[in-house]
Amino acid sequence: MSPDESDLELATLWFLAARAMSAADGTLGTSRQAAAGLYAQAILGLSEEACQQAKSDENIATLTLLDCLGKLAFVPREVGEKIMTGVMMISYSNFKMHPMEVRWASMLASALALEGDDFQRCCVNARVMAGMLDTHGAQDIVDAEPVEPEGGSE
Amino acid sequence: MTGKGTNFGFLDRCDDRVAHLARQAERYVYTDPDSCLFKLRLMIETMAKRLVSMSAPNMVDSDLSSMLGVLERLGTLPRRQADGMHAIRRDGNAAVHGNSTPSPTAMRRLKDAHGLSGWYARNIERGSKVDAGQFIPPPAPFKPTDKEDRLNKDIENLEDHIDDQRRRTREALMLFREDEDPEGVRKRYRIELKALEMVAAAAGEPLVDAEFVALVMAMDLEALFEHPSFGADSREARRNAEAQLAVVKTELEQNENDYLSERANLVHEMQLYKRRQLRGEL
Repeated sequence: MSPDESDLELATLWFLAARAMSAADGTLGTSRQAAAGLYAQAILGLSEEACQQAKSDENIATLTLLDCLGKLAFVPREVGEKIMTGVMMISYSNFKMHPMEVRWASMLASALALEGDDFQRCCVNARVMAGMLDTHGAQDIVDAEPVEPEGGSE
Repeated sequence: MTGKGTNFGFLDRCDDRVAHLARQAERYVYTDPDSCLFKLRLMIETMAKRLVSMSAPNMVDSDLSSMLGVLERLGTLPRRQADGMHAIRRDGNAAVHGNSTPSPTAMRRLKDAHGLSGWYARNIERGSKVDAGQFIPPPAPFKPTDKEDRLNKDIENLEDHIDDQRRRTREALMLFREDEDPEGVRKRYRIELKALEMVAAAAGEPLVDAEFVALVMAMDLEALFEHPSFGADSREARRNAEAQLAVVKTELEQNENDYLSERANLVHEMQLYKRRQLRGEL
């Protein structure tokens, strides 16, 4: 079954924003990855098909983060807040924030035109979600050190 | 099939216990598929325990699902192997809880276990050459009738469908596709993030001390989390999110239950047929 066009667009936007946040910090646990998909289906209401197709090369590979920020400016406010919450949930999942994660969060908040209070509410909700979806896994596991972002070659 | 008519002979030199369980599973695959699944489940639990004891010894007494989760998070267990182990865990659990296992399902999981054993042996016996060989189905002790053949084909089709659906569910949940190179994609995004940062700086936006902001944000959140107004929001958010999450989880569980029920029907049909055969009614 083919997903609805708008669902596919939202799913693509979500996975792009979420992947960028996962890239910003450098760690990538399976539970953290799976939490992104659960969030998409449970909170954003996206179908399994939309989530799967969004990650196909033809949908996501050609889009840049600038495209992502541009498209976010046009999503309804409520959906935008949900995306912000989900992205922050991914960021909190390992109990620390990398500087680049802060920057990506800040860029997203600007693109969504979120006020300070709205952003803080998203952050609080994200903390709740991170706990619920067990994005950090067993707490007694020592987190892997984040991969250091590449140096001058980038 | 390697020496002594088993597919698992190569395991003898690296893990006696796992080799023993694998052989038992192989022996039961036609005559007692439920027991085959019990043995396979125990086999992967033994494998997981040994792997966990090497990388996260404090988790060695956890349940199988948690141990697999730990191994995945630590990067010890690749996605393909994780899928195979979870499939054995789920079908093993179903058998333990009284859901009959058809022989083709047990054979499929036995084949998965063979592939997993090769990977496991290479991890345990680092540096030495491990040749698991090609999996050869053990010979059936009896020749199936046409009717049994047809039922087995139906079960095979159902198992294909189950495997395909489980793969699609997992693909939908993960951030990256199985055939993607997550490191390559993430590197590309990091380059873009740095470029966006430089553009912002060139446009005159003040440079932010991100480390400091992250620290303040974390501290603020601790306070906000307990704040009466945000606290109320977060409680409501939890209630809503829990309800929404429950819907998705129920749907996923329902899919698995539907498969089990369809599988049980086919097993039942096969059992009825065999009973009639024994009574000489056919």
